[in-house]
Amino acid sequence: MNLEAFQAFAADNQWGVLWPELSMALLAVLLLVIDLFAAPLRKSVIPALALGGQAVILVILVLSFGCAAVGDYFSQMVNLTTLGQVFRVFFVLTSLLVCYVGWVYLQRQNLPRTEFFALTIMIAAGMMILGNASNFVMLFVALETVTIGFYVMVAYARHSPYSLEGGLKYLIMGALSTSLLLFGIVLLYGAAGNPSLPHYTGDGLSYANLNNFIVANPDNLLVLVGAALVLCAICFKIGAVPFQIWIPDVYQGAPTPVTAFLAVGSKAAGFVVLINLLRGPFAALEAFTFPLLAAICAVTILFGNLTALGQRNVKRVIGMSGIAHAGYLLLGVLALIKGVDWAVWAIVFYLFTYLFGSFAIFGVMAHLAGPDDENQELEHYQNLAKNQPFLAGVLAIGLGSLAGIPPLAGFIGKLLLFIAAFEARLYSLLGVAIIGVVISIYYYFGWIREAYFKTLEVPPDEASGETARPYPHPRSLSLAHRLLLGALAAFTVLLGIYQGAFGSSPF
Amino acid sequence: MTVGLNAFLLVSGLLFAIGFFGVLLRRNTLVIYMCLELMLNAVNLALVAFARYHDSLDGAIFVFFSITVAAAEVAVGLAIAVALYRKRQTILVQELAAMKD
Repeated sequence: MNLEAFQAFAADNQWGVLWPELSMALLAVLLLVIDLFAAPLRKSVIPALALGGQAVILVILVLSFGCAAVGDYFSQMVNLTTLGQVFRVFFVLTSLLVCYVGWVYLQRQNLPRTEFFALTIMIAAGMMILGNASNFVMLFVALETVTIGFYVMVAYARHSPYSLEGGLKYLIMGALSTSLLLFGIVLLYGAAGNPSLPHYTGDGLSYANLNNFIVANPDNLLVLVGAALVLCAICFKIGAVPFQIWIPDVYQGAPTPVTAFLAVGSKAAGFVVLINLLRGPFAALEAFTFPLLAAICAVTILFGNLTALGQRNVKRVIGMSGIAHAGYLLLGVLALIKGVDWAVWAIVFYLFTYLFGSFAIFGVMAHLAGPDDENQELEHYQNLAKNQPFLAGVLAIGLGSLAGIPPLAGFIGKLLLFIAAFEARLYSLLGVAIIGVVISIYYYFGWIREAYFKTLEVPPDEASGETARPYPHPRSLSLAHRLLLGALAAFTVLLGIYQGAFGSSPF
Repeated sequence: MTVGLNAFLLVSGLLFAIGFFGVLLRRNTLVIYMCLELMLNAVNLALVAFARYHDSLDGAIFVFFSITVAAAEVAVGLAIAVALYRKRQTILVQELAAMKD
């Protein structure tokens, strides 16, 4: 046995560089162990430990940001970059906020709690690996950790036929996209392994080798079909047209915190994979990927905004508008393909504004939802400003940010993306995006109007009784909830006024 | 007589297409799951064929990951189907349309 070969092979297996992912996974396992062996502590300790543990990881991640390891590890399975580091912070923050919304949600539901937190944290760990994967095996395994976790979480409210139906639909669509992804990977691997072509490689699964091969053979048919299939699978994850069919039903059926996780986390994970692929192995396929994604981008923006107009269920509104946001982000990706390098930071900034705005809205939704979580209609928000001015204010700031109203963060996010697109000379797509933004203001403000300007019309025969109010708003909110929701709203305002490193220069 | 790489790829492509259209056209959830499995197995066949003919082990090892993931997917899927059947007494997808707008 040749020990030295193994030693050389294992030399860059430095587990320490993966400490954020590992500590997230350990935290999830720890929660399950406590649940198993210390059942009486379940109610009090587990939510606190889940939230606190992630907060600690988040703080350490942010503080150690400058001195994080960068480079290839684990035999080129993992390529740590600054971008991956930023997305680690993003996913831990997302998971922390999902756990908070989930905590609010679970207080009203008769459902197991520990598994919810454990699954959320596991999925976040998978997403963090996904942002750093530089090999298709790693990409596939991380993506499936995320996707299979999401199947369980969408169907988490197992007493509700809506949640189960959403879970089934997500599973069928998700598995379909997994198959497309795998077939695409196989075609790329097979094409790259063909000994009769220049620069062929035995290890076509690694991004670096595949990149060398594709640069030498950009017109190979197998490569093009494979790349198209992989891009289709990613479009499923980000919910771009024509792969958006799962979105409305799954968003409506899933418990509110899971909807938030899908909207923010899953979309961001799709975009980080897309960025890594387009800057890595698919960089030489520009002539093929650009028209494909440009068509998808235009249709996605228009479809998302137009279908959101007719929705009355707030989760479906969020879902449809989320499709439109994926379209705006694709605009940034297209600018990136065209060589505007700082578009990456425009995308990251946009995702952060989307995170804060969305979680402000989802936090309010979780506080207002009754026991039947899937039927939250716009009408439920009538009188909100009178009964709960604080929640209405947070909601208005979140919605305003998603709509892109200055001076909120969403406006700057859109502005940066549009400037990137302008620099890349994508004028017609820019026009489509601006039409989309104008349409979106209508339905976002429809929601705000329900909360602020509509009074509940109680039918005359029921007007006598106090109990006739069909959608009671909670009377009071504890200080902790106020602080967290207030912080989300404050960040949304703050990022609109001061962008720090994002606004001035690309890091 | 030896079988060439293209023959394997043809079979794999056919299996994949059958599975794909099966998922889109069939009504019964269990049949849809079988079609999904068929697609993944088509992928496995292509992986093994490429690995064999191009003399690289990576593809053959990837098959293990794909089989594991397929098993996990079906385990979750069957659990959801059972829970759904208890609630709705059906697993036909055209009858699962509670959410409309």
